Amino acid sequence: MTTLLERPEAPPRAAPPAGDRPRRRRRRWIGASVTPVVVFLFSSLITFTLGALSPSNPAAAVLGETATPADIARMNHEFGLDRPFLVQYADWLASAFTGDLGRSYFTTIPVADSVFAALPVDLALAGLAVLLAVLLGGAAGIGAALRRGGRLDRAVTFVASALGTLPPFVIGIGLIVVFSVLLKALPAGGYVGPQHGLLPWLRFAILPALALSLDIAANIARQLRTSLVAQLGENYVTGAVVRGLGARRVLFGHALRNAIGPALTVLGVGVPTVLGGAIVTEKIFNLPGLAQLTLQAAAQHDVPVIQGTLLVTITVVLACNTLVNLALLRLTPQGRRS
Amino acid sequence: MRRLALALLAVVGLLAVAGHLIAPHDPLAQAPELALRGPSWVHPFGTDYLGRDVLSRLVAGTGTTVVAAVESVGAGLLLGVLPGLASLWFGRGVEWLLLRGSDAVMTLPFIVFAVAVTGILGNGLTQAMLAIGVLFAPLFFRVTRAAGLALTRAQYVEAAELFGASRWRVLRTHVWGKVAPTVAVTAAQATGGALLAVSSLTFLGIGVQPPAPTWGGVLASDLGFLAQQPWAPVIPAALIALTVAALNTLADDRGLRAAR
Repeated sequence: MTTLLERPEAPPRAAPPAGDRPRRRRRRWIGASVTPVVVFLFSSLITFTLGALSPSNPAAAVLGETATPADIARMNHEFGLDRPFLVQYADWLASAFTGDLGRSYFTTIPVADSVFAALPVDLALAGLAVLLAVLLGGAAGIGAALRRGGRLDRAVTFVASALGTLPPFVIGIGLIVVFSVLLKALPAGGYVGPQHGLLPWLRFAILPALALSLDIAANIARQLRTSLVAQLGENYVTGAVVRGLGARRVLFGHALRNAIGPALTVLGVGVPTVLGGAIVTEKIFNLPGLAQLTLQAAAQHDVPVIQGTLLVTITVVLACNTLVNLALLRLTPQGRRS
Repeated sequence: MRRLALALLAVVGLLAVAGHLIAPHDPLAQAPELALRGPSWVHPFGTDYLGRDVLSRLVAGTGTTVVAAVESVGAGLLLGVLPGLASLWFGRGVEWLLLRGSDAVMTLPFIVFAVAVTGILGNGLTQAMLAIGVLFAPLFFRVTRAAGLALTRAQYVEAAELFGASRWRVLRTHVWGKVAPTVAVTAAQATGGALLAVSSLTFLGIGVQPPAPTWGGVLASDLGFLAQQPWAPVIPAALIALTVAALNTLADDRGLRAAR
């Protein structure tokens, strides 16, 4: 998946005047928390506009071919589709905040109910995938950076670029072939929630999560390797080594803190990819998540369900991005300094 | 490497243009008695669950897949490059608005958004590709801005403005030439990404209806029969991976990079 990374800004050359620091810092924190709100308004507007652009008239679709114009007008009124566009948007957004995402045109089941029944599957899957990505990508990136030019380094570089050329779902198919068909070790599909015990859940979740995580793990490894190699050549690292600090302390206490920015950004940018990829992965592994809901709704042109799933996914993505940005501010020395 | 990549892309291009003529069998012809056969002289890549020739389906499906990927990148270029230039030359208000818009688009989850768009606007390839194009727009937007930022203060641009050149003329003759190589490299990369996205979508049955052959569609029909033919997904997957790798090689090419 293509991602364009925003590198964290270079640290300022001259330290700002001391009295200025708290204010700048506050402004950064405000920026990191206000921008998502604006962005949310934009993307929810996109979501809603999409529905308004729909050529299919929901009333006509529900009522069938025998509907009279009067019936359609009554139905439109019932759904509130005869009001001005911005009024509908504001109303839709306001009720979304109270947990009301409207009702499906076809089943009349509240959209929020169907979405929140499916969402835990995706969240559990995405959470496990992110955890795996951090562990795999972090270990590979650090290992490659410490033994630069070594066998591990070359292997990581090769695997990372090879993974980038494969559609994410091919990895899923490959895992099924190896672990389910050839080794017969894990189920090829189906799902049991984590509330039924961690191990049964892992049996079903580990393959899809692994399939989802590899792409991001590769990106994390690549970014971490590059920035860690750069940091390890810096004077402060040499200084720390000269002062007699242990290798572990130098790596985790100093170099990694400075090097982690790009990798964390990859993780933040990767969240939409994980959630988007989750749809395909769910389809392959036959999981009862948002994918089935979205695909079925798309096939039926069920606009409220589509809008609802999109809005909820966007909210999750934005929340994750904001968390990553705040973590960057706290974690990296340059974020704390300014 | 570069020659190899170009040769591979040329072959893919040829298949895209003339795939239907080259295909040894009818990609839609079913032969249930030949279903799920392994490779043979008549069917080098075997047959699928309806007895259709896999090689012919891949060859005939190249056109749709490639055209879809190129279409989406084209849409992304249009929706990204123009706003990118506008954000640099049309004042801070426009810039702020476009930046937030680009942020908003970047939060849209790739496949979910494309599925949603086709669900609402109709399940056609154009709709799906428009959705992917919208998602690519922030990439081109940011790349254009990054490449153009230094030029807003460049002396020859200022000189042209002082000579009374119109804004349009400055952008077209002085700025575009400097921005274009970067945009071209990004476009090559994005085409690879678009191919992956198209494969994912056609795999889900989005954009193209099932009987029509596509690369992702071949993978989708392999999925149900992994127990019988665990090797089958390797062929379409390798085809996709090699094409994307060729595009990436071209994008990473030093000659191209040096040109910018």
